[in-house]
Amino acid sequence: MDIKFTPEEERFRDEVRAWLSQNAPKTQPPEHDLKTRSEFDRAWQSTLFEAGYAGISWPKEYGGRGASLMQQLIWYEEFARAGAYEPSTLFVGLNHGGPTLIARGSEAQKAFHLPKILRGEVIWCQGFSEPGAGSDLGGLSTRAVIDGDDLVVTGQKIWTSFAQIAQFQELLVRTDPEAPKHKGITWVICPMGLPGMEIREIKTMAGGSDFCEVFYDEVRIPRANIVGALNDGWNVAMSTLSFERGTAFLSEQVRLTRLVDQLIEMARHTPLGAGTALADDEVGRRLALLRAEVEALRAMTYRSVSRTARTGVPSAEASLIRLFFSELQQRVFALAMEILGPEILAWDADGAPSRVTPEHAGAASWVSHHLTAFSSTIAAGSKDIQRNIIGDRILGLPR
Amino acid sequence: MDLMPTAEQDAIRESVRAFLDKELPMSRVRALMGAPADAYSDLWRGAASLGFFGLGLPERRGGAGYSLTEEMVLCEELGRTVAPGPWLGTILAAHALAEAGNDGSALGQLLAGELRAAACIDPWGGALRVEGERVTGTRNSVLGAGLADGFLVVDDAAVLFVPAHRAVSVAAVPSLDATNPVGSVTFRDAPCRILSRDRDAAARLRRAAIVLSCADAVGGTARTVEMSVEYAKVRQQFGKPIGSFQAVKHRCADMAVRAEVARSATIYATVSARDATADADFQAAVAKVLCANAYLQNAADNVQNHGGMGYTWECDAHLYVKRARAFDATFGSRRTQLDALVAQFRAA
Repeated sequence: MDIKFTPEEERFRDEVRAWLSQNAPKTQPPEHDLKTRSEFDRAWQSTLFEAGYAGISWPKEYGGRGASLMQQLIWYEEFARAGAYEPSTLFVGLNHGGPTLIARGSEAQKAFHLPKILRGEVIWCQGFSEPGAGSDLGGLSTRAVIDGDDLVVTGQKIWTSFAQIAQFQELLVRTDPEAPKHKGITWVICPMGLPGMEIREIKTMAGGSDFCEVFYDEVRIPRANIVGALNDGWNVAMSTLSFERGTAFLSEQVRLTRLVDQLIEMARHTPLGAGTALADDEVGRRLALLRAEVEALRAMTYRSVSRTARTGVPSAEASLIRLFFSELQQRVFALAMEILGPEILAWDADGAPSRVTPEHAGAASWVSHHLTAFSSTIAAGSKDIQRNIIGDRILGLPR
Repeated sequence: MDLMPTAEQDAIRESVRAFLDKELPMSRVRALMGAPADAYSDLWRGAASLGFFGLGLPERRGGAGYSLTEEMVLCEELGRTVAPGPWLGTILAAHALAEAGNDGSALGQLLAGELRAAACIDPWGGALRVEGERVTGTRNSVLGAGLADGFLVVDDAAVLFVPAHRAVSVAAVPSLDATNPVGSVTFRDAPCRILSRDRDAAARLRRAAIVLSCADAVGGTARTVEMSVEYAKVRQQFGKPIGSFQAVKHRCADMAVRAEVARSATIYATVSARDATADADFQAAVAKVLCANAYLQNAADNVQNHGGMGYTWECDAHLYVKRARAFDATFGSRRTQLDALVAQFRAA
C-alpha cells in the first residue's frame, strides 16, 4: 500500500501542470450560448490534440494518448486543479461514442469518425433514453425496420444533450420486437439532420436548454452505420456505460474538492450574524464534514483506480463512488446556498451573468451549480438504479 | 500509488481470520464479555504465538518487521469480530516500548502475550504529575483497564509505561461496550518508565491510536453489511426474502457505500501515518469522522434490518452499536475532530 506516485509519474504531473498553466483557457464561454460554447470547445480540444493530450485514455493507434491509468488519474487531477474548462459539448463523443467505436466499430467506422471526434471537429449526442424508457432503458420502443440498405427509424428520444448542435448521435433502436427486450436492440450511428428528424429543446430547472427531445419519422439511416451486430446493441451500449461509470467522472470528483475549498474561502468572507459564516460553529462543522467527505472520495477513487490497475477492467465498485459522489455534490451546493443567504436571490434563469450585478455573479454561479446538481442523481443511472446495482451485483441480494 | 492490499497483507488477513474464527467465535466473544482478566490468558498467548503484537515492530525488537498498514489489517479483523480485550493498548504499548529501545522485560512480555496493556490516551481525569520515574494522577474511562497489567500513558509531551504495582489501582465499572470494559486508573506516585519526552513521539502514538481504532471500526462497519445481507437473503416476509424489497436493499446499498468510504479513508490515513506525511493528522481526523459516521449509522441500520430480532440481546447486532459508540467516544470523537478541522480552516 502506497500513496506516493513514482518519479516518472511525478515528472508527468509536472509536465502536465506546466502545460495546463500555459495553455488552459483563462476564460469560459457563456453557459447558455451553445454556439459560442461549441466553437470554444472545438478550439480548446484542437489545442489539446496538437499538444498530444486529446483522448488521454484512448489507445495510441487511434490517435489517443494511451496513458496508463495512473497518468489518466494525474491528468484529471491536474486538469481540475488548474480550473481548466471541460469541453462538455464534446463529452459524448470523447467518452461514449469514441470508446464504443474503438471497442466495437468496424475499421471503416473507426477511420472515419475517430480522428474527427478526437480533434473536436464533431459533436456527438446520445439517443438512449425515451419517454417510456428511462431507468428501464431495455424497454425502449423506437423502431427500426430494415428496408434494403437502410434502417428506417420511427420513434422518439429524450434527454438528448446537445442534439441541436450535434453532427452525430449514438442511437439505440429496436430492430427485433419479437425478441426478449434486451436482445432486439441495435446500436447505430445516426447523422443528425436527416430528413424526418425533428429536434425540440427542453428547458431545464437550471435555466439552460442543453438537452432536447428528438423525433424520428421514417428516418433512413444506412445499414453500414450499425455498430457491432444487428440486435446486439444492448451489449454494445453496456461497453459504453461501464466506461462512463469507470474513469470518465474522475475529473468531476477532483473538481468537487476544489469547489469545497472555494466554499470554505467564501465562508471566511461571508457575513453571518455578528461574524462570518466560517466563524459559525454549525456552518464550520458542516464544512469540515464536507471537506472530510471529499477527501474520502479521493481515497475511494484512488482505491478504485488501484483495483482497476490490477484487474484491467472497471470495477463494479464504481457504482459506490458514483452514488456517494452524486449525493455529496448536492450537499456541497446546498450548503453553499445557506452560506450565501440572501446573496442567492439575484439569479438569472437565462444564465446571462451580465444581467446580474457583478457583486452577485459569484453567488449566481453557485446557484447554477446547485440547480444543475439536481441532475447528478438522475443522469447516467439514477441514484435508485445505482442502489439496485449495488444491492444486486455487489451484495448479491435477491431481485 | 496503490491502495489495494499486497499479497502479504492478504496472507496476514487470512491467518488472522483463521485464528479468530477458531479461537473467538461469537459464543466465545460473549463468554469473555464481563469475564475476569485471567480468562484471556490462553487467547492472548495464542495471538502472541502468531506474532499479533509485534506485527509492526522491527525484527531487532522482536517484531515481524512489517508496519502500521499490516497492523491495520489485524485491527480490521479484530473489529470485524468485536474481539474483546485491550488489543489496541497492547499493540500501542509495544510500539512505544520498542521505540524507546533498551527495554528490559516489558516489551518481551507484551510480545509473548504474558502482559496486556491498556492505553490511557484521552486526557480525562486531569493533569498527571510526573516526578522522576514516578507518576501521580488519574485517567478515567480507559478502555480495557480492568483486563490490563500495564498502562501506556500518552500525555501532551510525555509517553510513559506504568506496570501493575500496588501504587496503581483500577476501578473497573460495568461497561456499555462489554468487549472493551472501561475503568478509572489511579496512579499514586507509581513507578513508571518514561519512554519519551518528545511531542512528536506522543503525536505519532495518538495518530496510530486513531488510525488503528478506525481500522477496528472499518472491520465492524463491513461486518454489519455482511450480517444485514446474509439476513436479508434468508428472512422471508410477504412470501419473499426481505432483501428483494428496495426499502431493505437500498439501505444495504447505503451501508456498503459507507463501508467503502470508511475503508478508503482509513487506508489513506494509515499509509499517511506510516509515512509520517505532512498531512497525516488531517488524514487521521478525516478517517475518524467518516469511520464514526459509517460505523454508528451502519450499526443502527443493521439493528433495523434484523427487525424484532435485532432489538434482542441474543442477536449480535447490538454489540456493534455499542462498539461503535465506544469508538466514537474515545481518542477524539468525530465532533472533536470536526472542530479541529474547523480550527485549521479558521487559522489558514
